[in-house]
Amino acid sequence: MGRRVVITGLGPISSIGTGVGAFGPALRAGRSGISPISSFDASGFPHFMAGEVADFDPKALLRTVSPADWGRTSLFAAAAARLAVEDSGMDPEELSRSRAGSSIGTTSGESQVVERLTAEWVDRGLTGLTPELVRQVPASRLANAVNQELGLTGEAVTLSTACSASNYALGYAYDQIHTGDADYMIAGGADSVCRWAHAGFYRLGALTKEACSPFDKDRSGILTGEGGAALFLETLESATARGAHIYAEVLGYGLNCDANHMVAPDPVSIAECMRRAHHNAGIEPSDVDYICAHGTGTPANDAMESRAVIEVFGEEPPPMSSIKSMLGHTMGAASGFGAIASALAIDQGWLPPTVNHRTQDPELALIDPVPNESRPARPRVVQNHGFAFGGNNAITILGRVA
Amino acid sequence: MNATALPDARPEAAAGHLPRDGALAITGWGTVCSLAIGAEEFSAAVTEGRSGLRDVTGMFEDEDLPAAEACAMPDFRVRDHLGRKGTSFFDRSTSLALVGCSLALDDTDLAVGDDNRERVGIVLGTTAGSIRATGEYSRETLVQDRPYLVNPMLFPNTVMNCAAGQAAIRHRLKGVNATVAGGQLAGLSALRYARNLIRRDYADALLVGSVEEFSPHTAWGTHHLYAADDGRAPVGEGSAVFVVEDAAAVHRAGRLPDAEVLAVEVGTYAPADGRPEAGDRGRPGAAEGLATCIARALERAGAAPSEVWAVASGESGVEHRDAVERRGIEAALGTAAERLRVKRSTGECHSASGSLQIAALLGRHRIDPALDGRLSVVTSCSPDGAVGAAVLRGWHRARRDHRG
Repeated sequence: MGRRVVITGLGPISSIGTGVGAFGPALRAGRSGISPISSFDASGFPHFMAGEVADFDPKALLRTVSPADWGRTSLFAAAAARLAVEDSGMDPEELSRSRAGSSIGTTSGESQVVERLTAEWVDRGLTGLTPELVRQVPASRLANAVNQELGLTGEAVTLSTACSASNYALGYAYDQIHTGDADYMIAGGADSVCRWAHAGFYRLGALTKEACSPFDKDRSGILTGEGGAALFLETLESATARGAHIYAEVLGYGLNCDANHMVAPDPVSIAECMRRAHHNAGIEPSDVDYICAHGTGTPANDAMESRAVIEVFGEEPPPMSSIKSMLGHTMGAASGFGAIASALAIDQGWLPPTVNHRTQDPELALIDPVPNESRPARPRVVQNHGFAFGGNNAITILGRVA
Repeated sequence: MNATALPDARPEAAAGHLPRDGALAITGWGTVCSLAIGAEEFSAAVTEGRSGLRDVTGMFEDEDLPAAEACAMPDFRVRDHLGRKGTSFFDRSTSLALVGCSLALDDTDLAVGDDNRERVGIVLGTTAGSIRATGEYSRETLVQDRPYLVNPMLFPNTVMNCAAGQAAIRHRLKGVNATVAGGQLAGLSALRYARNLIRRDYADALLVGSVEEFSPHTAWGTHHLYAADDGRAPVGEGSAVFVVEDAAAVHRAGRLPDAEVLAVEVGTYAPADGRPEAGDRGRPGAAEGLATCIARALERAGAAPSEVWAVASGESGVEHRDAVERRGIEAALGTAAERLRVKRSTGECHSASGSLQIAALLGRHRIDPALDGRLSVVTSCSPDGAVGAAVLRGWHRARRDHRG
């Protein structure tokens, strides 16, 4: 038997709030973080809305690393990690002396750094690149920034499995503690809104105009989003010993690959991923009380995700809502925000809503998307979905500590 | 001291060798780099100390390069290796990785089929995916008449897991598929991630490796950072991919691996580059951290420093970084073991480096029975304070043909 792993700190930096004290109530109230894009000139785009963290202030959040030396995404990761540790009540000095590390997921890494270098390339050629920006390109710096910020000497691993990456990171962190390789881990993800992803999703026909409405009959795509999501993990034993507040337990996770298409989701493969997660967590489908959906709001994703859920859960699946309706698609951070939402659902007794819901899709008649308003509930086991380009499926299972 | 004169080497007869608990087996591998394509050729090239330096002038029509020579492959075309079908939209990183995966699968005695493809996966290391593909995509949003006039077919090339996803599609591998953005540590980090998947029984076999492409972007980027270090290795490109399985399972099946991975340990310390962060007061530096990682890896391997015949380091001729790595290695292992400075042959291949270092050790083993059963160490250091070390045990390849 491995060690039991619990979540004792949450660090969200999002378009609807920074810190669990702001994020939780905003999520519960169904607040939207969508606004006109300000991080780049979006005037030439027919669609110009996104979920930016307009008030992100790394200087106010970080104690160690110098914001000038790091790209926006690394700063999201490091600041979210700092918030998660503060929320956990763990002594930072003791933490830095412990066997502690981080695993951080991302889709596009330091995308804004790459875009600044691209602008230099267009303006003055590759001979005119700024060395300090070149230094900031490697995506490994996301997890590295976390360890540097917190003074951790353990592993710092950045998992770049695109839009399911936070679930990969959470799963890996769980294993590190479960097996005894580490005593504390920061897990999560980070990404920044960028011009090329906005353009790419638009050209794929996957970008909606103003509001993301997952599971709605008239849903028409994603909005890109950004932020940092971090969770502080430790053993049940250490959390109990120091009297920490425990949000939830990490019960297990599952990973697999469609090996079929780079972009189109595969419901058979997603169903298999659920079964792997259930097996790893030692639960049955009937144990699951709520699903935090991948729920991008594209016609294809929501249909395929629902089909897979019905294949595994039958005609009466648990409620399944999408927080992307509020945050937009925060890419590599998405399933990290999903994990934070799941932990809050378990801890505080409510299910986050799918906002912007107008018309139930008759094709998804069996799906209860918790439309528009959060719902009081006492979920014991929650399933958190993350799917990605490359067919990289990752599902984590959280539970109330029994 | 000569490597072969080390006192504590204990070559073990492979058939009777019982793997340590938790060890991984490497049962086949492949490389794609300017030094050699394929394990056989790479083994010969490393053993003979060949150089992969090539004339790269004219390699890119629309961009000049900072140097006339690099460890790159001007003539590499993915269709020459994998055919035209399905490959026309591949970026170069994806192409290099996929050829590496194909070579590794051709080199192993593991059979992948419908009975096991759900349990066979991929773990690839990268710096930031195909930086050229991403940069060009981003550029289109600036130079086109309308910023959204990008090619949707090329969009997947901008995500860092493109190579791993495409490799899974090509070989229909439905097991765990992961991409580790490790930069200089990518090779070791991918191996460490794979070790967790195997020990936790999430996969039976994995294609594990790392990849880096050569482009005007990486050439100029490296030039801007290290122009002052005139002794540094030229910029390179390549991939190395290993078929990794549980060593005990391979042993039970009566199969003979090329090598075992006994431990991979990593850590984060005060960076070798740049100014120290405010929080670095009293924190160990990267050299001390590397020594700690090597010692921990040897302990996990149940081995003594004196058993190590060679260290394949990531030294690249950038003096202040090499000094850190050297100090770490010497503090943990002394100076007796042979040092393989692989980047002298392969160039500075960034995220592919760690895997090419492993391949260099396997290459020496592959054709030299005298090294059978002996232990070696691979080290990597990043400019950002991440360090890592792996302990390997290798054997020569021809023994597989004399089985029974």
